[in-house]
Amino acid sequence: MDIPAFKAKLDAARYIYDDSLVTTLLVALRLGRPLLIEGAAGVGKTEIAKVMASALDRDLVRLQCYEGLDESKALYEWNYQKQLLSIQVQMNRQDPDALTKSLFSDDYLLPRPLLQSIRSEEPVVLLIDEIDKSDEEFEAFLLELLSEMQVTIPEVGVVRAKTIPFVVLTSNRTRPLSEALRRRCAYLYIQYPSVEKEVSIIRAKLPNVNEHLAVQAAQAIGRLRESDAILKKPSIAETLDWVSALEALGVSDLTPESVRQTLGFVLKSSEDLEAGEAVLAPSEAACSHSHGHSHEHCGRCAGTAGQA
Amino acid sequence: MTVYLEKLAEFSALLRREGLAVGLQETADACEILSCLDLGDRETVRAALQAVYAKSREEQAAFQRAFDGFFVSVERREALRRRHAAEAEELARRRAEAEQELQVNGQPMDLREDLQEVYIRMGGRSREQLRQLLEKTRGNLERSPRLYGNFIRSVFMRFLLEQQMVMEDAAAGCEESDPDLALLYRDISHFKDTDIPKAAALIAAISRQLDAELSRQRQGAAHSGKLDFKRTIRKGLETGGSFYRLSYRRKRRRKRRLVLLCDVSGSMLQFSEFALRFIKSMSEVSESSQTYLFSEEIHLVDPFVLQNMDSFREYVRSSGLYGRGTDLGTALDQLCRGRPAALGPSVTLLILSDTKTIDLPRAGRMLLEARQRAGETLWLNPIPERKWPYVRSIQTMQMLCRMVPCSTLDELARACRKMLK
Repeated sequence: MDIPAFKAKLDAARYIYDDSLVTTLLVALRLGRPLLIEGAAGVGKTEIAKVMASALDRDLVRLQCYEGLDESKALYEWNYQKQLLSIQVQMNRQDPDALTKSLFSDDYLLPRPLLQSIRSEEPVVLLIDEIDKSDEEFEAFLLELLSEMQVTIPEVGVVRAKTIPFVVLTSNRTRPLSEALRRRCAYLYIQYPSVEKEVSIIRAKLPNVNEHLAVQAAQAIGRLRESDAILKKPSIAETLDWVSALEALGVSDLTPESVRQTLGFVLKSSEDLEAGEAVLAPSEAACSHSHGHSHEHCGRCAGTAGQA
Repeated sequence: MTVYLEKLAEFSALLRREGLAVGLQETADACEILSCLDLGDRETVRAALQAVYAKSREEQAAFQRAFDGFFVSVERREALRRRHAAEAEELARRRAEAEQELQVNGQPMDLREDLQEVYIRMGGRSREQLRQLLEKTRGNLERSPRLYGNFIRSVFMRFLLEQQMVMEDAAAGCEESDPDLALLYRDISHFKDTDIPKAAALIAAISRQLDAELSRQRQGAAHSGKLDFKRTIRKGLETGGSFYRLSYRRKRRRKRRLVLLCDVSGSMLQFSEFALRFIKSMSEVSESSQTYLFSEEIHLVDPFVLQNMDSFREYVRSSGLYGRGTDLGTALDQLCRGRPAALGPSVTLLILSDTKTIDLPRAGRMLLEARQRAGETLWLNPIPERKWPYVRSIQTMQMLCRMVPCSTLDELARACRKMLK
């Protein structure tokens, strides 16, 4: 697949991209390397895996990482109940060795996401989400899968991938990942989108939304993200929620009143809400728009007020 | 194709010099990916190679610098050619001018070529100052021509060294490409007021990493080795009463406590903004931390004042310790004997100091005692690592406990990563 064809697929998935992102995705795909995506929470890291699944027409297999995640949750587990039942049913069988051997066969294996992804007949997209939340031991355990595309199950042996999944690992950088893991991946760092890109995202995801409102909302979100007073920066998903809420309330122009009513969709703590209202509060200067009222009451200025 | 491979190998070597861990695999990947991309588009090549070579945000910044230096665009190549031609012309003109200006008894001065270059590259004001100096000391020429020659050479050498020191500012190249990242490479004593919000965010991020690393569980086994009867029986019920899978009691997870001992004496004044921000960030990210300030004695910081930077700054200034002499021995003595509960096996003692103290032998002895009491001891030193071999107190303390440089935020972040390895 070349770059234009890949872009066409991303367009079909209604994903807003820039050229460097497309190139990085294509590089990882071509080389068959896992893609490690880092960036702040809510910049759209997980979305990339979903979009890749959609663009490549593959199933998405997701493994959500957390502290204490081990191979029985991520790779495989034996179906103990079924094994015991089988032992009891075949108790009088003459050949105990054959019975033991049969107990550790595919019939009794419960594949978890990692095993599912490499045993799938059709290639899939494997999303290992928030890898920074897992323990170091799990990170080390992943190395074999990521570099050799195989896993070792002690009772069975080496299981090689039937098809090579496109692996996406995401990290919020809450802890540094090991060099060994990094070296095995292609790397992408995502920042919050620019106002223009965010407007495009709003347009793509919410095609019916008022254009003027989309621009105002994107500008306001940009200011909230720039402010040091806001601790939890709004994510792209929260922007979309906010615009949807404004649209549902019939707001076509962002006013201080509508901001106050709906800011809870963007900022999720009382400190942030307080700071957010101050950041988005219009300045006292007279409105420069030619509609003869003060800045405070001008919806058109709500998106730009306070920039000074 | 061979030339093309050679160039890629050279680029890989350049990246290695920039500090990126580039192996054969990366070069092979780069080669493979370039063979199927449109090489005419510089930005596509940049993005593709960056995905292959740079594996973190910090590495991306180094990659960008190396790429711009190595793969020169057509416009830049032409601009460079024009600039070099103009520079050569200017150099020839200034060389002729220098020969005219630097004369002794009507003859060109006997100067080494590199020192001549120094004079040529000097600004007009510096040249004027130097000429005036030469004029003033011309009388010495009559008395001792040999000493006069040495003096002239030493004047030039000093100027050369000053220029080298300016070049040592590692942030110079980074400033243009990414001002945020440049902060990482700037000496912490050179932060400007406008840098503080961004620096504070970086310090907070690094503190989080440091805390995560210091409080990380080093578990040999996943369980304690003791059988958990309740869970084993309950699990056994699922398999018809057979104890198919034994459950063990989990190891008790005890988070490490952090004791931060921060030097606020006179010699640390230049690093005070960093030190205070660092203390505040560490206390925010580490729930069970205690902070002590010390200079000639020790003082426990009230956690309440750490919530606001301005009140904390004021609190430190009014503590009576700020800007005084350093007596690490007394401070550690007061910590070990006066507050015996402060240190223990589950405590990580973090010392932020430049090591300059009175009574170094006693400070060393007390550091050893504190090290025995605490589970782990780590020293953060704001003096640049390249100066460590010349400071006796640093050499002494370095032998007694693990020391990490933090003269720049990048150094501190790298030290955190090193600890992880």
